[in-house]
Amino acid sequence: MQQFANPTRFLSLANRALPTIWVVTIILFAIGLYGALVSAPPDYQQGETVRIMFVHVPAAWLAMLVYTVMALASAVAIIFRHPLADVAAKTAAPIGAVFCFLALATGSLWGKPMWGAWWVWDARLTSMFVLFLLYVGYIAIWQAIEEPTRAAMIARIVALVGFVNIPIIKFSVDWWNTLHQPASVLRMDGSTIDWSIRWPLLVLGLAYSFLFLALHLMSMRSEIATRKLRNLQIARSGEA
Amino acid sequence: MDWNADHASFVAAAYALSLAFIAGLIIYVFSRDARARKRLAQFQETKK
Repeated sequence: MQQFANPTRFLSLANRALPTIWVVTIILFAIGLYGALVSAPPDYQQGETVRIMFVHVPAAWLAMLVYTVMALASAVAIIFRHPLADVAAKTAAPIGAVFCFLALATGSLWGKPMWGAWWVWDARLTSMFVLFLLYVGYIAIWQAIEEPTRAAMIARIVALVGFVNIPIIKFSVDWWNTLHQPASVLRMDGSTIDWSIRWPLLVLGLAYSFLFLALHLMSMRSEIATRKLRNLQIARSGEA
Repeated sequence: MDWNADHASFVAAAYALSLAFIAGLIIYVFSRDARARKRLAQFQETKK
């Protein structure tokens, strides 16, 4: 792991891996969308509306996974001072924010026909909305503070403190009486969803994960290039 | 998928919204990557 903390080695690895990751992403999306829109049957209670779940659930999973990646990277940045850890956390945030927004928006589009309301302030929805605010706040810190070392330190603290919200989101449906349904895929006693609906969901979850991996590697590559350019400009102005 | 079923428009809206935001994100990441690498290459070129 230590050897990939070197930006040059990381870039070389990323450049070699990216074409394969993109191909796998496209294949997974093609299979997953076929399963979601063609193969999976309508639900006996929800009808065709159940198909919203295939884009809503993976977006929600990724919103939580990306924030976990940010918190881990921030912890690594504080403990080991890896040169790439802050880059990884910073570049993951906009991607996670988009997934979080999509989870909220597609959930709302499911809620209106099923619950009769676009939005309710129940524990799962509220904690997910808090996650979105955490993403926005984290991005705002990097935008607002010009001095990169200071921005990185504050951003690390926000990412780590905000991580408390992730188990709250996961267990909100168990801890409180919510309108949102309890966990039905990732359960200790096995999934309660029929395989015909579960497999497209799992494939699309994998597709979203590979999409994140591809976009994250590319974002890290551009952030490394931006930082390298800034360092070269500073070095040149020092020579002049 | 039966596009004439009840609430099919909600399903279409959810997929259209997901597609639009994911496509927008991909375009943003690709353009930022291309711009950053181009600027770095240009700077290194002028340095020589």
